[in-house]
Amino acid sequence: MTRVWHLFDATWQNPLQCAPLIAKYLQGRHKPIYHPLNDCGDHVVVINSLRIALPGSEWRWRVYFHHTGYPGGASWTPAWQLHDKDPTMIVKKAVYSSMKGNLQRRVTMQRLHIFPDDQIPEDVLANLTHKLRPLRPTPDPLDSYDAEQVETFPKLVDYPEDYVLR
Amino acid sequence: MVFQTLSMMVRSRGPDEFWRKRKIFKLSAHFRGRARNCYSIAIRAVHRALAYATKGRKLKKEDMAQLWETRVTAGCEEHGLTYPVLREGLVRSNILLNRKTLADLAIWEPFTFKVRLVSTRVIWLELYR
Repeated sequence: MTRVWHLFDATWQNPLQCAPLIAKYLQGRHKPIYHPLNDCGDHVVVINSLRIALPGSEWRWRVYFHHTGYPGGASWTPAWQLHDKDPTMIVKKAVYSSMKGNLQRRVTMQRLHIFPDDQIPEDVLANLTHKLRPLRPTPDPLDSYDAEQVETFPKLVDYPEDYVLR
Repeated sequence: MVFQTLSMMVRSRGPDEFWRKRKIFKLSAHFRGRARNCYSIAIRAVHRALAYATKGRKLKKEDMAQLWETRVTAGCEEHGLTYPVLREGLVRSNILLNRKTLADLAIWEPFTFKVRLVSTRVIWLELYR
């Protein structure tokens, strides 16, 4: 059976919203032949997972729980801290928890490949055939425009001479 | 056995024990372990299995409907349409196909399915012109 390899650029995307979309492609629910038992899922390659955007104060208040199994082994890690330790972890956990917990889940997760930046290994890059449409547009930051573009950008009013910009 | 009194007849367990148990064992023939051959365990397992079967008749229909819906949604999204839009459009264009037929079309007759989608899209475009 042939599996399609999809590319997903996570730049400026909310991983919590992307997770159901990625899970859909991993499980093969985007194909009319889908059946839970027929294993028709595809591969998804997520790039730029370092540049994801969590909404509001989620970076501070979203907390990931882990327990080592020993007494007193519980630990709570805020999202920003987890992202510092491993920039692929938030996307991975979001996709994992967006799927139903069954025996197939860990096998399905094997088909998810996450990379913190846009550097993809050659063997993965050779398989890619399709790019998933991002859920939200990626805005260009102001410093990506050069001075001339900023100058000639159409504007409604000019600041008055004595207006103090700070 | 001849029942001399009514009270004896009430105490009787009906037909012969062997045949009574055989009916249960026939239902438990494919069970695992002692639930297959030990009567007191088998009858409990059979009762439970029959209860599950009763529930399952309803669940099967729901599961299939859900599966068809997933498949039709997948077929729609290939052409940039959502499932509710498709259903509404089909009703308005008087194409009365059920979910099973739509799912079969999406799998085996993708071009027929696409024609259905196009017809619903025409209906929607006319509505919002």
